[in-house]
Parts: sequence; structure tokens; C-alpha cells
Amino acid sequence: MSAQLAPEDVLTDEGYAVVATAEDLHVTFRRNGKAIHALRGISLEIRRGEILGLVGESGSGKSVLGLTLLGLHGAGATISGRATVRGRDMVSATDAERREVRIAHLGAVFQDPMTSLNPTMRVGRQVAEAAGSDEEALRLLRLVGVPEAESRMSAFPHELSGGLRQRVMIAMAVAGNPDLVIADEPTTALDVTVQAQVLRLLRTLRDELGCSVLMITHDLGVAAQIADRVAVMYAGRLAELGESDAVLRNSAHPYTLGLMRSRLTLGVDRSRALPALAGEVPSPAAPQPGCAFSPRCSVAGPDCVETSPEPVEVEPGHHSACLRPLAVVRRTDTMGPAVLTARAEPARIDQDTAALSLRSVVKTFGVGKGFGRKRTLHALRGVSLQIAQGESVALVGESGSGKSTLLRVAAGLEAADSGEVELSGGSRPQMVFQDSGASLTPWMTVEQILGERVRDLGRAARAAKVREALSLVGLPAEVGAARATQLSGGQRQRVCLARATIVPPPVLLCDEPTSALDVSLAASVINLIARLRRELGMSVLFVTHDLSVARVVADRIAVMYLGQIVEIGASDRVTSAPLHPYTRSLVSAVPDVGLTPVILPGEPASPLNPPSGCAFHPRCADATESCRDTELGLRLQRVANDDVDRVACINIDLSHVPTPVYITPKGA
Amino acid sequence: MTQVRFVGQRFAAMVIIVLALAAAVFALQKMSPLDPVHARLGGQASQGAIAAERHALGLDKPIVTQFGHYLAGLVHGDLGDSYRTRRPVTTDLLAYVPATAELAASGLIIALVLAIAFAFASTLRVPGAALFRLGLMLGASVPTFLLGVFGILLFYQHFGWLPASGRTSIGNAPTGPTHLLTLDGLLHGRPDVTWDAIKHLLMPATAIALGPAVAIGRVLRSSLEGELGSDYVRTARAKGRSERQILLGHVVRNAIGAAVSMTGLQVGLMFAGVLVVEQVFGWPGLGLYIAESIPVADFPAIAGVTLLLGSAYVVINAAVDVIQAAADPRIRV
Repeated sequence: MSAQLAPEDVLTDEGYAVVATAEDLHVTFRRNGKAIHALRGISLEIRRGEILGLVGESGSGKSVLGLTLLGLHGAGATISGRATVRGRDMVSATDAERREVRIAHLGAVFQDPMTSLNPTMRVGRQVAEAAGSDEEALRLLRLVGVPEAESRMSAFPHELSGGLRQRVMIAMAVAGNPDLVIADEPTTALDVTVQAQVLRLLRTLRDELGCSVLMITHDLGVAAQIADRVAVMYAGRLAELGESDAVLRNSAHPYTLGLMRSRLTLGVDRSRALPALAGEVPSPAAPQPGCAFSPRCSVAGPDCVETSPEPVEVEPGHHSACLRPLAVVRRTDTMGPAVLTARAEPARIDQDTAALSLRSVVKTFGVGKGFGRKRTLHALRGVSLQIAQGESVALVGESGSGKSTLLRVAAGLEAADSGEVELSGGSRPQMVFQDSGASLTPWMTVEQILGERVRDLGRAARAAKVREALSLVGLPAEVGAARATQLSGGQRQRVCLARATIVPPPVLLCDEPTSALDVSLAASVINLIARLRRELGMSVLFVTHDLSVARVVADRIAVMYLGQIVEIGASDRVTSAPLHPYTRSLVSAVPDVGLTPVILPGEPASPLNPPSGCAFHPRCADATESCRDTELGLRLQRVANDDVDRVACINIDLSHVPTPVYITPKGA
Repeated sequence: MTQVRFVGQRFAAMVIIVLALAAAVFALQKMSPLDPVHARLGGQASQGAIAAERHALGLDKPIVTQFGHYLAGLVHGDLGDSYRTRRPVTTDLLAYVPATAELAASGLIIALVLAIAFAFASTLRVPGAALFRLGLMLGASVPTFLLGVFGILLFYQHFGWLPASGRTSIGNAPTGPTHLLTLDGLLHGRPDVTWDAIKHLLMPATAIALGPAVAIGRVLRSSLEGELGSDYVRTARAKGRSERQILLGHVVRNAIGAAVSMTGLQVGLMFAGVLVVEQVFGWPGLGLYIAESIPVADFPAIAGVTLLLGSAYVVINAAVDVIQAAADPRIRV
């Protein structure tokens, strides 16, 4: 499908049409003695001046393709095929030639701007290395919107906020007017409001500089917002490629259809279990013949297991690698039978009994070393929250909002400086963490890890209890003998849930348990938490930065900003008719197909020095002089005398609750 | 500003540590069953003479006053008189320190050169790096004194390349101003003296350097390799920097922290090595001095050497902190 360009088209400086190509590219590398087939014959081209979104789950090979184009695939990789940039093959080139191409034609932005910048070199020098001179570095920093660029030149990376660090990375990437910028998950580590700013910056730079961008992302919403065309990868091969709208709104490949349907948006039906793609991403260590998606595909036939489909044009400019006719794919529900679960029975909530109540909780941390140099980090600045028995509440906010600290205080892992934490019943809450791999002891078997919590039982009773807990989270009993490292990410998170619920706790505390998981796995973990909550009658306090996750898991959402709850209310109401200006900007910054985000300027203020009055006033469009008042004494106010919705803002009409506006599911 | 403050803090900490060391040495002296008056006057002194001497030495005063006295003496460089040589310990130390300082400094330089060569050769996979590493490990696994004896047998007795004992073979070697023969030779325009001193230093300094070289080299190598796999190196490569520019411009500054810490720790071990090696090579330094002081329980001399080496160790580790802060701006936060 990649149009073969005559070399003269590519090499002339003006009038070239294609910046980079992958031509039947195979990349295999060895990890722990196993061959990892990261790319298995992928062909695509990146056109001049376009933003190509490269979308896929972890292990799909999308990052490997980016690194191969940069010539940074490493010495240990076995490669066949070509990866060209401006006609130069980065696979067969010598090291010196690759460097020339990188200097002349390429720029790169990586995921984590903290680790991707040298911590011991001033940012001005790091940019100047790519830009050639300090003057050019300064110009670039101004171009990417670094405020007070002159003084920031001599700052070290740790002295900048996450958003500014990523702007510095982008300044380096566009130094020397490259033809192609490879951006590998550039916004994944950023807060949602900052993500919207960075995406807009990348688009603006592309328009101004005319460079192409390869935007690698796992987030279909991000791709929808920024990309002209989208390529969907699965198991090292191309599944679908075409204009963004065509691929995302009118998908032709069963995998893309499945991804779009299992994707969490603010329009997902909350009353049902989430649609989740059945099965898991195949292991790149043992690729099967045939279509890699066939084991998870509901329209797959016997031929799919044998023949590996090549991408064919299904509509003008729209390619899909599927053996089934387009009409069949689009007509069929590709989610498979596992998905159509009956309408879930609502959880029983006992509004009169509080499972957990927090009253005016204050928590500060001392940061900085040395005598008299300690500064106070105000993590929680008077938080009150009550969770009824059986109820699920989500805490939402950006980094530094104090949501994780609140969870740790509720768990008893941190003691509050002042305020009260009251748990009904004697037993402690249990926690599930974001990094399931790191929260399971690597040398213990699953059985030992679970057994620790029921140590008092006899050997046989304990084994039975472990089996029961595993089956409750949908894992076979054999998993008990495995160690955490032998399990997949989704299985590990299930083990964490089994550990938390082997003795059902009154309250389950979840700290971003799905944010490290791929779309389809995240959906199944969320479904599992909902089922456990129903069956065990637990309350759930769920911390997440993702509003669409919060909306699905929780009955109520509490929005936190700089250590305070600024709005709390019913999930549907908060996400569809937000009251507080901060909640409004959070909701509008969620990237989605067919939406233009409203971009909130600035970045969250530092909890080391919360602004006076309403902490949000420096970023608030509606702020008045009185919002700055140090004596403001802002507190959560009831809206329309209803018991559910409360908001802390002096500019809001509290006489009536706005009616939720239900967003119709998009994309599908 | 923050840097000045940081150095000031480290200096204050250093003073506190040295004070604690002085207190420990003083307490040990008091706990020792040996009576300094007895040691001074001998067994046949009269009661009156003993009482007079006690008073003269201030030993009849309360212990706190005595400690205050001791500290005041320290501040003025007074470490008391040696029972053995009957000279002020300070005078003795000044005579022996330059030889030891020259040996320890040479040992440290050799250790650092070997460690850096070892780390970079391994990281860059220079041909022969494995052999170099094997030789170094072999040397480091042999006790220091044995290494000295082997060296003497091989390079002195068998080949006759290097001298076996002392600091110099030249009779009229210049003395002062530094009392370090390698430097004094240059300052007096006598390269022959410097060359001769280097030949004398080579074997004992290498003997004490091998162990620290391996320890520092291994730490440096693992930091270098770790840093080479980090994200910012990938960024630098994506910018089109060459491997040499990346290693020298980006990686080294991030990698030296652990190696500098290890160097500070190894210096302490190296002092112990120096005291032993001086015996083997007849080196007229603190090792010989303390070896003669211990059998006769010459407490002021032992305390003096202990305080001196302890202070040197503290100073070097304070320097380690300052170097680390200079290398890594995050430490200053």
C-alpha cells in the first residue's frame, strides 16, 4: 500500500511528498533470552506536513516503529525491511549517517519530560545542543511558550513544572526546523488541562513550521484531537490506516471498532457493565500465524487463523487489514458474547450509615533538607467527606491536588495533622494501587500473598479461601502457584483485588488502579470492581485523574484542587453539567472524538504556596477581586438545598441544580 | 547563595564530628588503666612528686575542666607530650605526616586513575578490558602487606627496577617547603629527586591503591552503564549528539555521585592500608610512629594520630558532599 516513490521525488529538497516510510519493516529483539517480535511487516508513509497518529495498545510495536525511524532501535535488534527518513534508510545507515539525519531532519519528544531531560544540565544548554546557539535556544523557548524564557535558560529541569519541561523537550525537537517530529506519548505523563495545551502547541508548531509529526499514543481521544490521519497497530502489524474521522468514526477493522466501543468517554452508558474486548493482547514473544486479532474477533473465520491479512483500500484513502468484507465487519457486533452482560443490578447503598467519614482533615508535609530550609507542602487543607455504606465515591483532580494523600490518610498510612477519620466497623480498609507489579512481593507466590491475610485459618481452610478469592476475581486456581512476574498486567491487578477482598473490607480504596492498563483491560478491571462492590457490599473510594473513569465507577464525584474539595455531586451531574469553573475546564479538556477542547491557561499552582482566597482564582476566567480575598473563608455550599451537590465558588447561582445533559456516545 | 549555605552547613557538621571524635579519644584516655604520671615519672617517684606532677598536669581538676583544657589545647595545636619521645606530639606528627600524606595522596591518585580506566574500558568495551579487570581484581584480592612483599620480591629483588624501602636514596635531598619530596624536588630544580621519590612511591602506593581502585571502578562502571540506558541519553541521541559528546557531556556528571561517595569511604580504608604498608616498605611515616607508640602505650601519641587521621577522613567526606552537590543541582534543593 505504500506508494513506491521514485528516489528523485524523495531526495530533492523542494517538492517532496513523503517525509518518512516504513517498508515491510520487521524488528525483532531479544529480551531475557526470548525473541520479541515487535514489528512484523509494517508498511506506511508519513506525508509532508501531516500529523499521523500512531495508535495501539502496549506491545503493539508503536514505540518501536518510532525508535526505528530515529535509528535508536539498539544494536541487539534484528531488522529487515526499510525505515526511511527523507529517502535515507535508517536501518542500513551507518551511525554517522543516522546522526546526520537526526540533526538535519528529525526531532523527538518522549513521554516523561523529567527523565528525558538531563537532570544536571541547565535547560538552556540542553536546547542549545540541538539549536546550535544560545540565541536560537532562547528564541525556541519563546516559540514554545515558556514564560520568562530568559531566566528559564539557566534553570535545571527539576525547577520547572511538568508542562514546562515538556515544552522544553518540544523546543529541542523543533530546533533546526526538522522535517519530522516523532512524539512518543508526549502527553501521557501530564495533567489533562496541560495535555490540552501541549496538543495545541504541537498543532500550532506544525502549522507554523510545516514539519510532519508522528504522534504515538495509546489514547484514541488524543489521536482524534491532533491527527490528520490515524494508523492503528496491533501485534506489530498495521490494522487500519486512514483519515482520522474515517478511522475513528467509521472504523473498518474489527479491532478499531472494538477499541472505540470499549473506550471510556463521558458518554458511556453507566447502567451496564462496560463493553470490554474479550481476551488479551497476544504476547510478542510467540506470534501466531494468521491474523493476530482473530482469537479476540467475533467475525473471524477459519481462514483468519491461517492467512495474515494485508491492508487493502476499503474506501478512498482508507485501508484495513481484514479478510472479512467491510459490510460484515460494520454490521456485526465485534465485541463478542462476553460483552452483552445484563443490566447490572444497582448496588445497595445505605445512606444513613457512614462507612467512612473524614472531617476537616489537614495534612502537611515538610519538604527540603537542611536547617531552617524546610518548606511546608499543604497536601490537604481541610477536607470533609462522608461515604455511605455501599457507596462509591471518586476523587478527581490534577497532580498536587491531594487526592492520593486523602486516600492514604483514609487508609491509615498517613496520620492527619488535624481533623477526624472515622471508620465504621473495626476492620481496616484495603488498598489497590496503580502499579500492580510493584505492589506484589516478587518472590512470593500468589497463594502466599493472599494467604498472609488469612493466616489464622488452618492450612486446608486457607487454601480453600485463596481459591475462592481467586475465583471471585475471575482467575483460575492455578494462578495461586505463580509469582507476580509470571502474570500479565491485568492478571496482576486482579490478584491485587483478590488480596484486598479475601477478607471483605468495609471500604476498598483504589489509587488509579486502571491508569497503567490498556483500554480493554481497564474496562474489565472497572467492571470487576463494580461487581465486587455489589457482591461484597463494600464502599469504594476511587482516586483517578480521568473523569470518564470516575463517572463510571462512582455514584458521586469529588473534585479536588490544591488540597480542597471544590465540587462534589452525582457523577452524571458533575461530568455533564459541572458548576465550578475548575470542574468545567477539567470536563472540557478531556480529549474526545469530535470535540474541540476549551483550554485552561496556566498550570496548577504549587501546594507549597497555595494562592490566597480561592486557590483557583489565578487560572479562573470568572474570578473577581473578592476571589483573591485572604479572608474569603471559602467552603462547600449546598446547591438548591439538595444534599448531594455542593460547590465552593462565590460566583455561582446556588438556587438550582442544573439538569444533567447526557452526551450521546460518540465514535461508534 | 544556596551553594555557600550548603558548604557552610557541611563545615558546621564537620566541626561537630571532630569534637565528638576528640571527646571519644579523651574518654578512652581516661578509661585506660595507664597512669600518665606514672608513665612520666617512673616507678620510684615519691608521693609528693606524684602529687605535684598531678597538679602540674591538671589531673586533680574535675573531669569536665580537664576536657575543656584538652579542647583548648587542641585548638592551639597542643596534643600533649609523647611519653616515649618526650617531645610534643605535634612536633612528632609534623615530622612524620609529610611522608604519609605523600604516600596516601599518591595511592589515591593511582586508585582513581585505575578506577576510571577500568570503568571506561568496561563501559566502552575496549578490547582487553576483561584482562585489565582480571588483573585488577587479582591484585585487589591479595592482602595489602602480601602485595607489598610480592612487589619487593619481583620488582626489587628479581628485576631490580624499583627500590624496596624508604622515601629516597639521595643523601642531600632538599627539605621544605612542602616536605613532600616529589614537589620539593621540582621546587628546588632537582628533577632527579622527584624521579627518585616517584620510584620509591610507586610500589607502596600501588599496593594500597588496588583495593580501592576496584571498589571505586565497579561503582563508577555500574553508574555509567545505568546512565547510558536512561531516557535523557536517548534524548541526546535523538538530538544527533555523538556517543563521545553524550558520555562526556551528559553521562559523566550524572554518574560520578556514587563513585565519589565510594572514594570517600575507601579513603578511610586506605589510611589503614597506609599504616600497614609503611611497615613493609620501611616508610618513615605515621605508620612507623604509631607502631612504635602502641607497644609502650604512648597514649598522647596514639590519640594524636587518631585525631589527625579522623579529621582527615571527615574533611575528605565533607569534600565528597560538596563535590556531589556541585555535580547534582537537585542535592542543593
